[in-house]
Amino acid sequence: MEMTKSSGAEVKTRGHILIEDVVKVYDPEGAAVMAVDHCSLEIEAGEICMIVGPSGCGKTTLLNAIAGFHEITSGRILLDGEVLCSAQKPRAEPGPDRIVVFQNGALFPWKTNLENVVFGPVMQGRMTKAEALDRGRAMMADAGLAGVEHNYPGEVSSGMRRRVEIVRALMNNPAVLLLDEPYRALDSLTKSVMHEALLEIYYKNKVTIFFITHDLEEAIFLGHRVAIMTTRPCKPKKLLTVDIPHPRDYSVLTSKRFRELMQETSEAVHEEARKAFQAGEREG
Amino acid sequence: MEVQAGQEHEARAALRESAPFRDASERLLERIAAVARLVRVEQGARIYGAGEVADDLYIVASGRVEHVFKREVGAREALKRIGPGGVFGWAGLLLGQSARLASATAVEPATLLRIPAEDLVKILESEPVEGAAVMDRFGQMIQRDFTVPTFLAQVRRLSGAPLTEEMSRFSLTMYRISLWVKSPRPYLMMIGFAIFLGTWYLAVEVWRLPRFRDMPGLTVVVKEWLSPNPTYGLSVYTAEYYQHIWVSIWRVTQAFFLATALGVPLGLLMGWSPRFKEYVFPIFEMLRPIPILAWVPLAIVMFIATESAVIFLAFLASFFATALNTMLGVQSIDESYVRAAHCLGAKRWQVFRHVIIPGALPFIFTGLQISIGVCWFSLVAAEMVSGQYGLGYVINTSYVMVRYPTIIIGMATLGIVGYATSALVRIAGDYLMQWRVRELALSEG
Repeated sequence: MEMTKSSGAEVKTRGHILIEDVVKVYDPEGAAVMAVDHCSLEIEAGEICMIVGPSGCGKTTLLNAIAGFHEITSGRILLDGEVLCSAQKPRAEPGPDRIVVFQNGALFPWKTNLENVVFGPVMQGRMTKAEALDRGRAMMADAGLAGVEHNYPGEVSSGMRRRVEIVRALMNNPAVLLLDEPYRALDSLTKSVMHEALLEIYYKNKVTIFFITHDLEEAIFLGHRVAIMTTRPCKPKKLLTVDIPHPRDYSVLTSKRFRELMQETSEAVHEEARKAFQAGEREG
Repeated sequence: MEVQAGQEHEARAALRESAPFRDASERLLERIAAVARLVRVEQGARIYGAGEVADDLYIVASGRVEHVFKREVGAREALKRIGPGGVFGWAGLLLGQSARLASATAVEPATLLRIPAEDLVKILESEPVEGAAVMDRFGQMIQRDFTVPTFLAQVRRLSGAPLTEEMSRFSLTMYRISLWVKSPRPYLMMIGFAIFLGTWYLAVEVWRLPRFRDMPGLTVVVKEWLSPNPTYGLSVYTAEYYQHIWVSIWRVTQAFFLATALGVPLGLLMGWSPRFKEYVFPIFEMLRPIPILAWVPLAIVMFIATESAVIFLAFLASFFATALNTMLGVQSIDESYVRAAHCLGAKRWQVFRHVIIPGALPFIFTGLQISIGVCWFSLVAAEMVSGQYGLGYVINTSYVMVRYPTIIIGMATLGIVGYATSALVRIAGDYLMQWRVRELALSEG
């Protein structure tokens, strides 16, 4: 995969995702379960799109299809006009243009933070080790991570680990960041710090962000748009455009518009959560 | 208001009273006292305010100070009164902090020891072993005594020129040893040994209990073991003793390395490729439970030389333990790591090299520790059956020739040598898995 060296302006033209009529049926023991049902969604280049739905609604299945961890049954997904996966080629090839930040974090515990950060470019042979180390140090310093380069991930706080993981992703100059409830395990205080840090990183890099969460407040605070998903099978139930201008900071949370948007959407989210609860879906 | 010099004694006493320096050496305290100054403050005097530059650290020698965190810090209890021995103003020691997180005011007339943070860090950095320990205790104290969120309360990692990667490994080991010596564990261990040996001595030589009467006693064995002219021909002064040890160690070494060289790759393949596992694992699981002694006749038929037969038997048990644990190690690796590596553009073999092998290492080394144990176990069994030298052979022939103390010498030597080899495997594992050692050290602390 050829990647253009880009910095700044060019980035905005990359990262357009088109999800067309995607269906995913799990068929483990003959009993077909529909996880995603004719789901269509378009995400603009450089947009933060928040996917909200109750646990186990199938939103992670969608993320896995984009990332290339799972096959789709029908439909297709395009990235910048190129077909990632379709009925003919059900599984996308995982690659550094779409990087996942995992729910429980997936920094390699046997590599130091800096070794983790340079892993992508070195594996792809895109930079020499020395170049990658220079760039990695600079990016870590930029994200407020100076001083922990040679610590192992297990030695720093969970908030710092998440930041290192995002820096590791950005080192590859990805078109899309796929975040799967990355702040779920953090306490609310750390979470608020992480949100601002993520926005700060976003304002510098303007990468498309596909962010899965079940926290509506988080979704409205971060997103340009919020897609509220139905519970299994999963498809968009309501699309909300958050008309609070970026850059945002935490004062947004107490603004009148934020409260209005919360009110407007919480009913829809709550309804799906109730359905999921009644269906007794397992988390996943 | 500054207090005259010559009060170094008081400064050191104040340091000694505070949690981070409680166990510090006199030499370290002296160096810190030299850069510190005692200051007296009036009641109601403001010491510093939130947001100011965090350059000095304070220890309360007498009096009382009120310490109020600024709201953004998110401390659960914003207000805290700090009395003698208390430490405040430690923000300068935190990772990525250079401003005061709180304001401090004297609520009684107080005497404070004021230490410039940068000087303190320099002194701690020049003492890689003790410095790291003191810094660790600062971290613990901040987390224990102040209710700030943990992500804020990360103390700085001491670095600086002399602290290379090798040095920090060394200092970590030294620190752990010093912890061990200070803990009750070594003393409990000694008491355990004393009870064991004492019971042996009393049961055999003093009380002469039924069943124990004919056993060699502690003093007899020790005398024989350390005698220049041993009655039964084997002691630390005879060359033969070392020849037996050497032969056994050499056999174990060959068997162990052969088992590792074949068992680790086999286990990695079984864990990595489901298809390969389908071929091999059922046979593997059928062969594994067969006791080593059942292999003896076949080994003798297969290998004409007894030496090769003995090594083969020792190898076999060890091989199964290593391969099985390695396979479990690969299977224990979290799927996210493999997915993350693919996302980051790693090819299949790069994933194998950078994720599968290091991810399986903890299990592999657990396997190797078991493996070296069963290696000794089956070696001695094999040496008893056939062989001409070695510790198993010593034990068996001493029984036949009625040299009872020599049996015990052989057994005790086996215990010591076996323990030493097992420790070597553990040290090799710790060396290769620094990330794990550090994680464990932190979770203990």
